[in-house]
Amino acid sequence: MELGDGTTDIVHPEVRAHISSLVAALGGASTEDDGRYHLGDDALEVLRDIKRWIRFYDEKTNRMDVARCIHEANLIEGDLLPILATWPENATDSKYKSRIALSCFEIMVPLTWPMERDKERMTVNHHRHMPVLELAQVQYKRAIINFDEARILHAAVRTALPSLALPAGDRAARDQGIIKLVLFFLRNMAMIAPPPNVQYEGDETQISRSATIDAFSYQDIFLFLLTLASNMGEDFRTEDTSVMEIIFHLIKRVDIDKLFMTEQQVHKAKANELASLMNKESAMHKAYARNGPTRHNRFGTMIWVKREDGKMSSLSGQDVLGDASTRNLKMDNNKVFKPPRRTRKENKDERDLGPPAKLNARAAGQLRSFVEEFLDSGFNPLFSHVRKTIDREASHVMQYHRRQFFYLVAWFLEAERTRKKLKKGSSNKADDEVSSFSLVAGVLNQEMFITLNKAMHEAYEYKDWHELAAVMRCFTQILLTVQEMSESGREDDEEIAENVLSRLFYEESTHDTIANIIRTYKDQGFYYLDAATELVHHFLRILEAYSKQNADMQVRSRKRTRQKKNKEQQLQQGTEDGALAEENDDSANDEEATERTSKERKFDFQRFAARFSPQGVVDTFVKFTRFYRDMDDTQLKRVHRYFYRLAFKQEMSVMLFRVDIIHLLYNMIKGPEPLDKSSSMYKDWEELVKQILRKCFKKIEQRPELIIEMLFSKLQSTAFFLEYGYEKQTTSKK
Amino acid sequence: KEPDSGLGIEEEVSVQKRVRVPNVKLDEERLLGPAGIPKLRRRAFGLKLKGKGHEFSDASRLLSFYQLWLDDLFPKARFLDALAMVEKAGHKKALVSARSEWINEGRPKAGNDDD
Repeated sequence: MELGDGTTDIVHPEVRAHISSLVAALGGASTEDDGRYHLGDDALEVLRDIKRWIRFYDEKTNRMDVARCIHEANLIEGDLLPILATWPENATDSKYKSRIALSCFEIMVPLTWPMERDKERMTVNHHRHMPVLELAQVQYKRAIINFDEARILHAAVRTALPSLALPAGDRAARDQGIIKLVLFFLRNMAMIAPPPNVQYEGDETQISRSATIDAFSYQDIFLFLLTLASNMGEDFRTEDTSVMEIIFHLIKRVDIDKLFMTEQQVHKAKANELASLMNKESAMHKAYARNGPTRHNRFGTMIWVKREDGKMSSLSGQDVLGDASTRNLKMDNNKVFKPPRRTRKENKDERDLGPPAKLNARAAGQLRSFVEEFLDSGFNPLFSHVRKTIDREASHVMQYHRRQFFYLVAWFLEAERTRKKLKKGSSNKADDEVSSFSLVAGVLNQEMFITLNKAMHEAYEYKDWHELAAVMRCFTQILLTVQEMSESGREDDEEIAENVLSRLFYEESTHDTIANIIRTYKDQGFYYLDAATELVHHFLRILEAYSKQNADMQVRSRKRTRQKKNKEQQLQQGTEDGALAEENDDSANDEEATERTSKERKFDFQRFAARFSPQGVVDTFVKFTRFYRDMDDTQLKRVHRYFYRLAFKQEMSVMLFRVDIIHLLYNMIKGPEPLDKSSSMYKDWEELVKQILRKCFKKIEQRPELIIEMLFSKLQSTAFFLEYGYEKQTTSKK
Repeated sequence: KEPDSGLGIEEEVSVQKRVRVPNVKLDEERLLGPAGIPKLRRRAFGLKLKGKGHEFSDASRLLSFYQLWLDDLFPKARFLDALAMVEKAGHKKALVSARSEWINEGRPKAGNDDD
């Protein structure tokens, strides 16, 4: 589009002209009285016009020209915020002013709306404007949450107050719309972050999570959210997902342990972190210095390595004089060939959670008090309501809400456990009714487990890995919470926990899915891998303990119900009626049946654990272990326990005897980049690797054919033969 | 017709597409060939492991044993890459049957029964 002076403009010049004339007509800073903002004569109409431009030009025709022009005309910072500042906090009765304020928010919400990169709907305009607009949104956020003259977020809530005051039944569609609008505005403010891969050029501290939380706290938004959450289901119905979204964007990737530390503890933890990092670095330097050259780089050492069959290879550099392993390493590193690999499909339209959030002390304190109050009052009402909303597939539920729901439940359960642990540590006050498990009971009921199971199966089937990871985290946290409940020492809690565990482990299809998930891992990312291994670890651990305690544990499997429908029915009756039925029932038949199934179940844990020994599962854990340098102690321990269980409890160490696995294990201890020797897990790992290696060499002596098999993945039957020396007796199928 | 300048510029040069030399692959044929697993088995007799108390040095010896064998078999790939290729080839039919044969050789009774 040519302009008058021959340059071209990126948007249609008429659009730009219209928008700038509208913005000019809106008003401006006066030259008299201290440059206060004066509204134009038709300000309300002008605001409505701008709104119409956005709706009927940008949204209808799927362009972003108006948004771009508004950004360039500096509408939000130059006009809307000063206009809102002229709306004094105590003047709520001026209808004109509140209408103006509402129109301001009606414009700001679409402008700060998160942009999605949906490939099918994107036009050339999107590619043209999006990078600019994403940065513009960050600027908007900075301006809004740091605006000095007025509390903009608070003003947003104020515009909704008349509608909020009405009882839920009396609210008109317009009132509900206003409440929604305000919630979306807050959501956008919480959500906007500098786009990834772009260096933000302003002051990061003005838009960081800490600044957001600070603003939310100072402008009383947390109180507003708490009110909504705790009245969910009574005065508020369709607002549940929006409230949840705001909370999600405030707490995502916040480290719970750090959040609940006092300031001194945080300082101490940070100091420890720094010290350990510096130790790590110096260890790295030391390792390098040991193998590094001792003379200048043109010293020109060259050696021959004699190999079998009279072959020689030549290597240069003095470091190869040392020992055989460095020679081998160097020989390997000199090669440049890389096998052709299929490039991984990058999923760019799905934004992940982003980098971990760093909070300063002030924001952490504010967020912590919010989280505690939320747990005390809002957790149960909000999340039970959201669960119902998701279950009935309400029209306002988006696909990503499910993922956020599971993420939040997991996060808050962990937060609650951390809080409880701290309380126990600080003061041994018995019977504190406030912080009992009933605070989170809303997500520990049967309906929740049904939702959870369903979501797990669906996410796995539809290959929605993000959601599946969230579901797995949630499942893990529920397991941990229930386990803690069963050890709480209170009879009521233990009884409930027992009940919950039996229901959690009841469905055999869940066991199958978990085993399948871990077996079929294939480049879904580290976050997913971490969640999957964590779930398997805790599931196995708690199930084992539970099945030991309860010899008559029962599992519902589909095959069996078809075969022995009658018995199952009897059994179910037996469990439902509990001890009474067993005492009263005369039928020895029933007892016999119970005995038989209980035997099967007791045997069952071995069978269940055996599902985690195939090569696929081992490979998944090995892939996870490859990140050992970046793992923390709990993650290292998780893998350690798995390998230990595999090799010494299930007697399937043969699955670990593969050259690349041995290579990995060896390098974790003795390689060029070993585990940190001062870390607490190092000793355990060294011992484990030693034992595995010892077993491996014994096996090689026993069965020389292992030398070949060590190159390959083994089938179950081969592995069994190598382990025991005879064929597995397979029972014929009935 | 103009006389030939003698520089050979006007002569037609045949631009023929030559077939590219196919990439060398670490596949089941190579593995089953004389430099492949048979050689590994021969060499395995020379492999001396010290046993208890020397686990890590033994592991290093074992790893370098495999590394040198792979270097002879398929020199261009790095150790871990080559291992992955071998593993992949292990699922091929020819190798699967060969593997079960090798295992059967080590089996004392079953081997006799089959023969």
